[in-house]
Amino acid sequence: MKKHYDIVIIGSGAGGGTVAQSLIPLREKGLKIAILEQGPHFSHSFFTQREIEMMRLFRFNGAWPVKSGEITIAAGQGVGGSTLMYTGVSFRLPEPVLQEWNVPDLSMADLYPRFDQIEQDIHVIEPSEKMVNDNNRLFKQGCERLGWPVKKIPLNVKNCEKLGFCNLGCSSGSKQGTLEVQLPKAIKSGIDLIPNCEVVHLSEKTIHAKIHKAPPGTLEGMWQPGKITIHSDIIILAAGSPGTSGLLLKSGFQQHLPRIGRDITLHPAMTLYGLYPKPIVNYRGFPKTFYTDQFTDSHNYYIETAFYYPFVSTRHMGLWGEQLSEIMSKYNQLMTVLILNHDTIRPENRITIDRKGNVQVHYQIATSVIKSLCHAQIHAARLFFEAGCELAIIPCASSPVIHRDQQKQLEQLIHKKHFIPIKTPVSSAHPQGGCAMGKNSDTSVTNSWGQVHGVPWLFVADASLFPNSAHVNPYLTVMALADRVASKVIKICS
Amino acid sequence: MYHCKHIKGHRLKTILAAANCIVPAHEGLSNGGTLETAAVVDWAIDQMPGALQFQFLIFISIVYLLGIFFGGRPFHKLSYNDQIRQLKWMESSPIKAFRMGFMGVKSYICMGYFTRDTNWSAIKYHGPVFYDTPAPDDVIRKLCQEKLKVRS
Repeated sequence: MKKHYDIVIIGSGAGGGTVAQSLIPLREKGLKIAILEQGPHFSHSFFTQREIEMMRLFRFNGAWPVKSGEITIAAGQGVGGSTLMYTGVSFRLPEPVLQEWNVPDLSMADLYPRFDQIEQDIHVIEPSEKMVNDNNRLFKQGCERLGWPVKKIPLNVKNCEKLGFCNLGCSSGSKQGTLEVQLPKAIKSGIDLIPNCEVVHLSEKTIHAKIHKAPPGTLEGMWQPGKITIHSDIIILAAGSPGTSGLLLKSGFQQHLPRIGRDITLHPAMTLYGLYPKPIVNYRGFPKTFYTDQFTDSHNYYIETAFYYPFVSTRHMGLWGEQLSEIMSKYNQLMTVLILNHDTIRPENRITIDRKGNVQVHYQIATSVIKSLCHAQIHAARLFFEAGCELAIIPCASSPVIHRDQQKQLEQLIHKKHFIPIKTPVSSAHPQGGCAMGKNSDTSVTNSWGQVHGVPWLFVADASLFPNSAHVNPYLTVMALADRVASKVIKICS
Repeated sequence: MYHCKHIKGHRLKTILAAANCIVPAHEGLSNGGTLETAAVVDWAIDQMPGALQFQFLIFISIVYLLGIFFGGRPFHKLSYNDQIRQLKWMESSPIKAFRMGFMGVKSYICMGYFTRDTNWSAIKYHGPVFYDTPAPDDVIRKLCQEKLKVRS
């Protein structure tokens, strides 16, 4: 099968969905535009709120290991990309981070109006008091007692029913990801959405892809399964950090663009648990409303509220045997926080392709990150005890279950020598970089408008563009950059 | 009836014994080593890409054989204490492949146990708000609700 479009967008997450919406004026002028999505198109009724059934929303069931095995990546797989299963956290890129990125022609003056517009479109709000469950309330109390600043997390939700299943797909449609906001507008304007479409190779203005059969329970696409060649005057890659770099590498672009797959960061994170003396039922209500930036400047991490379902919690705790059974028997008493390190680019960390053409993320946790995560575990333990917990479950402690009466010895108990790669559970939900913006092809892959150096028909519009960590949850930044990429495409097409 | 495709013979014996060590009985929680746990593990293995499935099944066989070094017998025939000793060694082994394999086995056993509705009351988890939504995969829904009998 052969097709022709004026513009094709590969990926439908925060980047691809936003580009599609921003290109609606071109569709209205008669240009043919398509969005290709590798994953299926899920309807709201698919989101059954059951962990094991919803693992198919994620690549590798939510635990895509980096080559070293030291971190597992949670990345969305479906129409909506990772906005399917994120919590809706919508931070703006901090100004000092943009200065550190030092991308020519990219300024806050350019990004601010885009942030304003996107926040309005996706309904970013400050969570109300009604959205704060007991876990979040205890977090706030603990931080206040410790004298740490405690701030509200901006969220993109509308009429939230506070069911607590954001990370398994929002069955009420309250979370305003691209599945709810940008993509329906794009489809309504006449942009084609093609789910189950695996792009295998790119050549000059041409996409070679395979359409797979829609999995049971998902929406059928408009094309029949089989191989397809699509000619397009402009191609915009928004397949997520590993996906976009992987596709360019598979297609041989590294010959002229040696930085493809380089300059990656992951925001290594750990989820920690404290045992409160009575039920706090963190699995109901909105999971994330507060964070503290007490240690951001000094130790490169944030502490946020969090919630995970029973099976995933067992992965985070790093416990097994009697300790696991004992803690899990009180699952409804668990207070949960996430520590999120903002790492920095390192030469050894990169994206490659293996002999079979599979994307590999190479990442080794640096000593500085381990130190930061250990510091964060000490302070998370302090927070748990200050909030009233009896126990804290801390993977880098000499014995991972720490009792309240040991709280004065936290710095002796929690130490980097107890960090054993793979055994110590570290995860990532924010892969970034791989096609960094910059001046030229020696130091970057695209210019500040996401246009690939030396390939004027090819653009990138996802977190791959970040030249270094965004420090904060990246979705809003991805959307703002994607909107900027779209404005360049509109200019070219006009 | 659900017939296990992958977890049978020595692998079934290994998974059942390992599950009793990973999730031992405690207050309302029953021992993890049941056919119902193994069936969910089997279903999940069936969903894996071919190469990963092969590696995982080989690793279960390695766990079985490694028992020879921890008590002169296959893993499931070791004493409980020797089984724990072997699992602890794998978890912190200087050899990365053992640490990765252990994490895989532990994860799949926890999946086989904690995703089953029948174990939720013991951990005081009330599960989905919309309980009876149609299942995208009827087999795993029935396995988790123990509405399918399991045969190894």
